[in-house]
Amino acid sequence: MTQGQKTAIIVVGVVLLVVLIPLLSLKATYNRLVGMDEAVKAAWAQVENQLQRRYDLIPNYVETVKGYAKHEKEVLLKVTEARSRVAGAGTISEKIAANNALSSALARLLVVVERYPELKANTNFIRLQDELAGTENRIAVERRRFNEAVRAYNTKLRSFPTNLIAGMFGFEKASFFQVPKERQEVPKVKF
Amino acid sequence: MRTRRPYSREQGTLTLLTFLFLTLAGPVANHAAEGFPKPRGLINDFANVISSQYEQKLVQLTSELLAKTGVPVVVVTMPDIGGSDYTDYANRLYEAWGIGKKGEDRGVLIFVALKERKMRIETGYGIEGLIPDGLAGEIRDQYIIPYLKQNQFGKGLLNGTLAIASIIAKDAGVSLTGQVPVKRPVKRRSGLSALAVLFLFLLVFFSMGRRGGLWPLLFLLAMGRGGGYGGVYSRGGFGGSFGSFGGGFGGFGGGLSGGGGAGGSF
Repeated sequence: MTQGQKTAIIVVGVVLLVVLIPLLSLKATYNRLVGMDEAVKAAWAQVENQLQRRYDLIPNYVETVKGYAKHEKEVLLKVTEARSRVAGAGTISEKIAANNALSSALARLLVVVERYPELKANTNFIRLQDELAGTENRIAVERRRFNEAVRAYNTKLRSFPTNLIAGMFGFEKASFFQVPKERQEVPKVKF
Repeated sequence: MRTRRPYSREQGTLTLLTFLFLTLAGPVANHAAEGFPKPRGLINDFANVISSQYEQKLVQLTSELLAKTGVPVVVVTMPDIGGSDYTDYANRLYEAWGIGKKGEDRGVLIFVALKERKMRIETGYGIEGLIPDGLAGEIRDQYIIPYLKQNQFGKGLLNGTLAIASIIAKDAGVSLTGQVPVKRPVKRRSGLSALAVLFLFLLVFFSMGRRGGLWPLLFLLAMGRGGGYGGVYSRGGFGGSFGSFGGGFGGFGGGLSGGGGAGGSF
């Protein structure tokens, strides 16, 4: 092997190292971001499932309450209105806002319901109440998991050198499912 | 679907940035303590409120169910959860222990917080369809809470576990005989007592259909008899260890719950 051949091999090796290593790390980072972005989307889908479940449950619940609590038209109407606004929401942030409003309306209704012992003794109502409480809890659980996924993704996105790569490929920060301070608690149903 | 926060290695110089970021994300940060106890088995009486007699029956019942259907029903009593929200606690505990197989998520957690006087039936994703929240609430109201109110924890938890176990067994098309299937042959004293037990369970299953039936009463009655349910159990050769179902700590395989179930005060 001549001196020239040796030099050529070394040069090629160095070039490969210089090009390949960043390329591989770029690939790894990019793929990880894609994976985490997908995780956020999947978690949001779970949240939406539960929101939909609540949406479907409400008419039945409202009907049952109506039969006993005839004087609570206003509270019931608020729930129905908030529910229809949920249906009209398009973007994720609109959906979050509409659902937070629905949560507030429902919380009011749950308080009102306490005044009707006959209603509370109705077995059908008890079941619906359990289903609703369960759904609220599911929403809380999926919201927590969604927020965890968002936090993991956003943290990754903002750390160096991922932030450079994220900027290059246009990855954007995901937003949390925030609940207004006064409404952090899941509506508590007393038994 | 399951995103934990695995990337915390490369913080180094970015600790400050991360810290700032986490502070911004504060309102949604985890509040509850992560320090859950390790599972002892299917029955975890950390609060020491279940008598050994009931505990043994619970272990036998849940072990048989797990062996036959693959569904773990896990009972946990905690002396104190430090005032955290019990629904959130139960869900996290479920996840931390991974009750049921990953992906299948068929499992149930029956949870009691003694000091807070709260209880919850937490159903895994794969059990939600079989035991919807309304039904879980019914089991809670009829079979568990009335006993817990009188501090009869063993009785209430056994009652509730039996109700849940019966539903799961029925769905899987198996019947619970009171015997954990064991590998070594078990000598039977006589065919008669086995028949009697079978009859009893048939009765239990039939009366289960009626809401608020008298089957838990029947069940308890049967247990009181030396030659009945309890008698068969003690011959089953279970030996009080968890090894009997396939050589290990069965039932904990990364299962997840989405917060289904029902809970309440007692």
